[in-house]
Amino acid sequence: MLNYHDRTSWQLKLLLLPCVLLIGALVVYPAVYSIYLSLTNASLVGAAATHPRFVGMRNYVRLFADAGFWHSLVVTFWFVLGSAVIGQFVLGLVSAVLLRRPLRFKNLISSIILLPNAVPEVVAGFIWISMLAGGENSTLNRMLGGLSVQWLQQFPLAMIIVANIWRGIASAMILMMAGLSAVTADIYEAARIDGASPRQIFRFITLPLIMPSIFLYMLVSTVATISIFGFVYALTRGGPGNATEIIGIYIYNQSFTAFQLGFGSAVAVVSLVISMAIGLVYVRALKVQV
Amino acid sequence: MSKSKVAVATIFGGDAVAYVTLALISLFCGIPFVWLILSSFDGNASLFLRWPSPWTLNNYIGIFVREGGARWFFNSFVVVGAATIIVLVFAGLGGYALSRTNAWWKRPFLYSIILVRVVPPPALIVPLYNILLTGNKAIESFVRTFIHPESVRPVMRVVGLVDGYFGLILVFAAMQLPLALWIMKTYFDTIPQDYDEAALVDGAALFQRIRFVLAPLALPGLGAAGLFAFIGAWGDFLMPLILLSSSELQMLPLGLFRAFLRVQEIDYGFLSALALLYMLPSVVAFGFARRFFVQTFSGGVKG
Repeated sequence: MLNYHDRTSWQLKLLLLPCVLLIGALVVYPAVYSIYLSLTNASLVGAAATHPRFVGMRNYVRLFADAGFWHSLVVTFWFVLGSAVIGQFVLGLVSAVLLRRPLRFKNLISSIILLPNAVPEVVAGFIWISMLAGGENSTLNRMLGGLSVQWLQQFPLAMIIVANIWRGIASAMILMMAGLSAVTADIYEAARIDGASPRQIFRFITLPLIMPSIFLYMLVSTVATISIFGFVYALTRGGPGNATEIIGIYIYNQSFTAFQLGFGSAVAVVSLVISMAIGLVYVRALKVQV
Repeated sequence: MSKSKVAVATIFGGDAVAYVTLALISLFCGIPFVWLILSSFDGNASLFLRWPSPWTLNNYIGIFVREGGARWFFNSFVVVGAATIIVLVFAGLGGYALSRTNAWWKRPFLYSIILVRVVPPPALIVPLYNILLTGNKAIESFVRTFIHPESVRPVMRVVGLVDGYFGLILVFAAMQLPLALWIMKTYFDTIPQDYDEAALVDGAALFQRIRFVLAPLALPGLGAAGLFAFIGAWGDFLMPLILLSSSELQMLPLGLFRAFLRVQEIDYGFLSALALLYMLPSVVAFGFARRFFVQTFSGGVKG
């Protein structure tokens, strides 16, 4: 017979079981399975579709010699750096700092900044197709005084970065606001009494205090930006050419457009490894904190 | 103005500078929406920003009259709604267990949830498609043995894992579950164990305890978890793209996308109205979820 303690621990495991099964079957198992698939010549069409063969590291050898793969890694790198690490972060931090002041229209302003964050990926893509359309009549060209730049054709990577900054300012702003709330008025008070200048206060008090939030934001937003697919796909479908083929789109195109599931899986494994590495840094940081 | 506020104020210049900076950021965030709103009321909408002429509500009425519109809404609500309910039930139970257990696996389990959350969905599409296709074949042969051949397809549209409601519901639930589990675990941590113990002393069995004591207490946490699950699944484009092909099952994101690809004769007014109605539920949900937003990032900090 089980005693009370054993029985509760058994019950708790039972309560957790549905989550473990669902996440295990549809997230963890596919992630592991993708490693196996990447070692085969699995395909959506032809003989390999029914009987995939084990091909060892061949997909990876091909991958690392593939210009398209390196190109998509580079595009992803600039996309993450330009939009998440720099653009969203800087604008989010500035908004958070400024919105701490007793300004008018504070709620209106923060609602407007939050709005893009709530928009579904496809709608965001749809909106930016109109913003960036070519010709003299497009919104952006008219705002800039009648240019006729083909924004998405001439500066595709820069434009998806701008559009993605637009989507993500809010998450940076909210996280920075949370970080800033740790910097209370009396800390400023004390610093001022000691004769610190505003610049010094920001540099030596505010910044160190919100450093954990910044660190957290960088990890989370980097991972989230690597996972982006729908928004960029709706906006450019990776084009023109492969100029905006971020890694998610590259995986999709290789697997479902070129039908090479094995090769696509090898790309997927690379993006898994990168994300996992960032995730492990996060877990390590948590261990230090706990 | 207190001294501390003066200090904050002077870091980035005076109030005037603040207003100008914030106005520019707000313009950047707000302007893209202007075209969407105006063209949804425009009888002759185009891809370009213009003042509606004539003003009309036909674009909105069209959503309920024309092919697509209402059907896509219905499908989206069914799939996302069912997924959200699964997430709530599973995460509610699991979050409680995670919060109350002191077993050795607690820490490793929490860390693996973080690792699961960083898995990029595009990396899963190929294996996920394969796995669901295998499961789908099994379900189909099962359905065939019981049901008249003619009604197999309609049944499979509901219970099928590929090109069926059920598969997409499960996938959405699985994708949103890790975050919901975090939120619920963190939330139950704030509910003192005294409540469980009191109910236990009163002789309540586990499920009575959950049903009558903990579920009511957990409602705010469930609210937050449900909102984020809904927003995440509602906006997702990738999974319907991979898993759905029948036009009867088409959901809003893909319906919109495909309609927009028909390069000839795009009805911008109709699409804008549809896009606006499509974004409304997630905007509303986001408005409610906003104050829980920080948790979704930093839920881990408390371990």
